[in-house]
Amino acid sequence: MLSNILPRLRSYSNYLKQFSTVVTTDGDTKIEPRILQYPPKYQKPRQVWLENLDTIDEKKLSLLDLHPNIFAVNPRIDVIHQNVRWQSLYRYVSYAHTKVRSEVRGGGRKPWPQKGLFCRARHGSIRSPLFKGGGVIHGPRSPTPHFYMLPFHTRILGLTSTLSIKLSQDDLHVVNDLEIPTDEPQFIEELVKSRNWGPSVLFINEVDIMPRNITVATDLIKHFNLMPVYGLNVYSMLKHDTLVLTRTAVDVIESKLLTHLHRTNTFNVMKKYKVDQV
Amino acid sequence: MGSKTVDKALTMLRTLPRVSLKNIRDNPGSKMTQKRGRGQHGGDYHGAGNKGSGQRQNYMRLGYETGNRPFYLRFGFEPYYERHHLRRQYPPVSLLQLQTMVDTDRIDISKPIDLTTICNTGLYRIFPDQHQFGINLTDEGADTFQAKVNIEVQWASELVVAAVERAGGVITTAYYDMHSLQCMINPTKFFERGIPIPRRMIPPTDAAEYYADPSKRGYLADPEKVSEERLVLSQKYGYNLPVIEKDPDYEMLTERKDPRQIFFGLNPGWVVNLKDKVILKPLDEELLQYYNS
Repeated sequence: MLSNILPRLRSYSNYLKQFSTVVTTDGDTKIEPRILQYPPKYQKPRQVWLENLDTIDEKKLSLLDLHPNIFAVNPRIDVIHQNVRWQSLYRYVSYAHTKVRSEVRGGGRKPWPQKGLFCRARHGSIRSPLFKGGGVIHGPRSPTPHFYMLPFHTRILGLTSTLSIKLSQDDLHVVNDLEIPTDEPQFIEELVKSRNWGPSVLFINEVDIMPRNITVATDLIKHFNLMPVYGLNVYSMLKHDTLVLTRTAVDVIESKLLTHLHRTNTFNVMKKYKVDQV
Repeated sequence: MGSKTVDKALTMLRTLPRVSLKNIRDNPGSKMTQKRGRGQHGGDYHGAGNKGSGQRQNYMRLGYETGNRPFYLRFGFEPYYERHHLRRQYPPVSLLQLQTMVDTDRIDISKPIDLTTICNTGLYRIFPDQHQFGINLTDEGADTFQAKVNIEVQWASELVVAAVERAGGVITTAYYDMHSLQCMINPTKFFERGIPIPRRMIPPTDAAEYYADPSKRGYLADPEKVSEERLVLSQKYGYNLPVIEKDPDYEMLTERKDPRQIFFGLNPGWVVNLKDKVILKPLDEELLQYYNS
């Protein structure tokens, strides 16, 4: 009876193979598992596939652990909003400008005598704010800077929240490196399309000198952008649909954020931006 | 972090539309919007009322009671807080906080603890320019204090001394002048200035009595009398005094600073060069005499 069932099971397993995940590894290259700094005590690490970028079809190279304090934190939409608002406001200077009564041309002469004219109100200048074409009170004055600093830990929480959201929505992909075989834009476009990424994709590299092929290929495609890891920010992550990190970039992001989450000398990080200090 | 709500929220997000720049918002009600009524009767006087001080901002002077003798003049001057701005202040650290710092590895108890150690935890700050002269170790958590420490503070009550000594530790109260404190609260910053470590000044006359008192464990007290007082205190509070002579950490527990010394292992007059990692010591006779006096 067993001999009857076994071949059937084998055919089922062949049938199932196309729905299951196959880990492809080259014979000689062994992929090291990630070792988490500050190992989490109460949470399991999140996991993500390590993918390749050198073929259009996706190859899953291995599973990587991600630190839950960075990639599985409370998704604070409000904190993300505060970060985005801060990012657009801190460098915004409003140049809207209106003239007050002294700056408007003319208006030096008293328009009519103070007394003796029937039905004429008392006025000293035709550029007074009461007059048409007169000065504007409480109008915008240029330049008005809108700089302010978001608290340090709000900035950290914004980054971790956004990374967690990207991971949970399957919009975060980790690749071994950014090397692609050709500098033709068609390759990367097809790759993104076949893997259901995007349409807009942000590639994060650990250093700011990117591989040549991907730089040339994405140069004219405005919705594929390359960014070094030190430029990672909430606004850009949300602006792009998919976030693609290299494995080394993940290491750098994690170690930097964990360092900040565990630092003890927090007195000094906001000191520079304190207002109203004596 | 790590609660079930977080997992639930992240699981929900898997099926929700992609979070992007157009669907984020702040918490409702978190921002107060400026409201100024407009229109015919929208905000007639905008909160200023009709006529008078509200509209013209010519308020009466502070304390004026429209003709009564004001409250602040009704009684004679009683200077309870005279010279309070000149008195020495000691911002507190409790024994409970100290125990927590030890338990969370912010303090290494295998070495003597002083003000620098406490400041380096990042949980305690003092401002010597505001007449703060160091730590007052307070008795909260005295019942549960168990760390065996060699600690030097600037002020401690009898109960605190008893709690530290019951746990097998040693406590000293020591005075530091303002300039010494400024070096101690951030040694790196001080060493970067490249000036020699100053001498610690002796306490002023009104503090000398405290710091020479063996029952207060003053650093100027006779060590013989201090050990006698340790026994007296243990009998008063009814605990067995641990014998530190038989302790394996005897050397650490008996380590003390010289009354002129600011840092453990560094003498006054030395210059610490952090860049080249060398210590420069004075050789001139006159300098040696000055720093040793």
